[in-house]
Amino acid sequence: MTARAARQTPAPAVSGRSARSAWPLRAGMRLARLHAAGRRIPVALAAIAACAVGLRIALIGHWDAYGALQLPLVFETGAAAAITVTTASPLGEPERVTGRWLPYLRLAAALVLTAAAAAALAAAGTGAHLAGGTLEVLRNVAGITGIGLLCAAVLGGGLAWTGPTGYLLAGVYALYTQWHGPALTTPWLWPARPAHDLGAALCAGLVFTAGIAVITVRGARDPVRE
Amino acid sequence: MTAVRTPVPSRPQPATRRPGAAAARLLRLELRHNAMLWMVPVAAALFWFTTYRKAMAMPPLWNLRAATMQLGALVAFVCPVVGAAAWMGSREARRHITDLAAITARPRWARELATWAATTCWAMVAYLGCVAALYGVTAQQATGGGPLWWPAAVGAVGIVAFSALGFAAGTVVPSRFTAPLAAITAFFALALSTQLIHGSQSYWQISPLVTGPWNAGPDAGVATFYPYLPDLPVAQMMFLAGLTVAALAALALPRGSGGRSLRAGAAAVTAAGLLTAGTAVELAGTGKPDAHGMIAIPALHDAANDRPIHFTPVCSHTAIPVCVNPAYASYLPSTAAALEPVLNEIAGLPGAPARISQAGAIYLQRVGNGAGVRLPGPTISGTPPVYHVLLPDQLLGPTMTTSQLADTMRSTAGPALIASVVGSGPGASPAQHAVTETLMLAAGLPLQGPVPPPGRGRGRYQPPPWLLPGSPVYAAARRFAAMPAPARHAWLVRHLAALRAGQITLAQLP
Repeated sequence: MTARAARQTPAPAVSGRSARSAWPLRAGMRLARLHAAGRRIPVALAAIAACAVGLRIALIGHWDAYGALQLPLVFETGAAAAITVTTASPLGEPERVTGRWLPYLRLAAALVLTAAAAAALAAAGTGAHLAGGTLEVLRNVAGITGIGLLCAAVLGGGLAWTGPTGYLLAGVYALYTQWHGPALTTPWLWPARPAHDLGAALCAGLVFTAGIAVITVRGARDPVRE
Repeated sequence: MTAVRTPVPSRPQPATRRPGAAAARLLRLELRHNAMLWMVPVAAALFWFTTYRKAMAMPPLWNLRAATMQLGALVAFVCPVVGAAAWMGSREARRHITDLAAITARPRWARELATWAATTCWAMVAYLGCVAALYGVTAQQATGGGPLWWPAAVGAVGIVAFSALGFAAGTVVPSRFTAPLAAITAFFALALSTQLIHGSQSYWQISPLVTGPWNAGPDAGVATFYPYLPDLPVAQMMFLAGLTVAALAALALPRGSGGRSLRAGAAAVTAAGLLTAGTAVELAGTGKPDAHGMIAIPALHDAANDRPIHFTPVCSHTAIPVCVNPAYASYLPSTAAALEPVLNEIAGLPGAPARISQAGAIYLQRVGNGAGVRLPGPTISGTPPVYHVLLPDQLLGPTMTTSQLADTMRSTAGPALIASVVGSGPGASPAQHAVTETLMLAAGLPLQGPVPPPGRGRGRYQPPPWLLPGSPVYAAARRFAAMPAPARHAWLVRHLAALRAGQITLAQLP
């Protein structure tokens, strides 16, 4: 189609108040769907569901004190890592310069996925002995996701998982030191703190807030090379 | 256009390329563009945080630090290595260059091997650097008993296996989610595999985190009086090597990886790798704790490793020398200082030992994951008599600091030494009890009842009623203790034999 022909193309027949009000909603839904597809959010949700199912199956087994405490943290980290991977954009620069709604989409995606992960893992622990309970799941998922989002801003979405997986080991080690001292009691290693520990919750919340803010405003770094 | 005659070479020029040069160039390119390079600082930081600091807080004993290093290094490296390898394995598919790369001169399998090799090279650089740091510092601090290379070797083969498994995962499922999920799955499988070890002869001893009877943990008593048994490390390395070979060969199985003969060979190699790994698991299942605290596998065991290591003991300059294995030399000053008051009291008495000598422990496997430790023979033996002891760190339990160890020696070996010289025990005479308590008072030890017989536990007993203030034994002990030390010592030299025979009464004590 030539430019002239394009200029002569008649406007869509739909008109009127109802069509005008329906258009932004429909466009917004389509935009959100495309954003979710581009960020592999359905796959991330599947990964989160797999983590929840894995946790549920694992909780059926008999674990000693070490295992019982480490177990939820492993699955929480898996879910958080899946969330952070969705920050990678397949479009890069073109999306940044044209996407007016992009910050809101990034914010919504991160919040929805984090809420889904916390809810799924908490549900997986229902009726079983989940060390730390729901509050600890919420704190750990939020904090570790925050680490992943910050890593995404620095390393890019593809390699953002290095933060959560590295923190997993630090958290497991901090749990280990509760038996074999000297115990690490810093609230920045919140997996080793009790669920009702205010300092640990504040640290996790702070990291999550920082991660959400950075990923909303700046998005993940576009990797030039690996 | 005119035709130009150009000389035609009579025969083709011989190729001047060196064999392997292209492969080396490909490897060099992959080394420069590898995600594992960025993981090296992450892995090193995790190693420092979880392993190096912990190992350095331990006494400078190779057996403790090497076992801690094997476990800690593998746990610290598993996520970065598996993740980076999976990331590299999925690279072509993630970048949508599979078709582009398929038309290059190299078959896909060769390209993948080069990428895996580069990833493994960086992982090994990081691992060897960490091992070098830990072993280097330990070599400066330790006084014997090492270095132990088997734990380092198991760790190295483990890193290679992690890399191969992660790479295979990334190749088979080329997704951006593969790297994190593979890393966390590998961590889960590795860290929690030891949960399934129950008792000896468990197949799960094949886990590369295991260095000995799992419930005992890193043990300061092993691999100093007897060699570090390579049985379990050999089985673990067989297992890891089998997995590595199987994972790498499986990369050549898909259509398009190479010719039919290559794929058939890869299938055979994959089967061989899996068979090797399975055999190693079977071997590990036959392993059981030996008398020297390590896991012996009958099919891999070399009887030469059951012979004790010859060493020249390091001795103190106390009234009765205290001698220890050179590996424990750092404990000698504090141990000798803790025992010195007791040694001064009993030196020169009839029946007193000529030397206090550290012995190698004998390990006993109990029900489930339980284990016990005892002396290999009688407490006193030989001519002149030698008193054998185990340092508290040789007993199963948490590792002690030097001062904790000295305190424990003083409160356990001190009373036991006095009791062995005086002949005190459950059936001893009141005079023997009184003299025992006198010597303990003189040595600054707390009063206590008779030393429990072997096998009934140890620790401080509450003083029995006849040792409470006001009792005849207590009064006699106080009276005897009030004597000048030389006079008391001289009396004991003359009468100790009769005292041990039960021929001295409380009234006859000066």
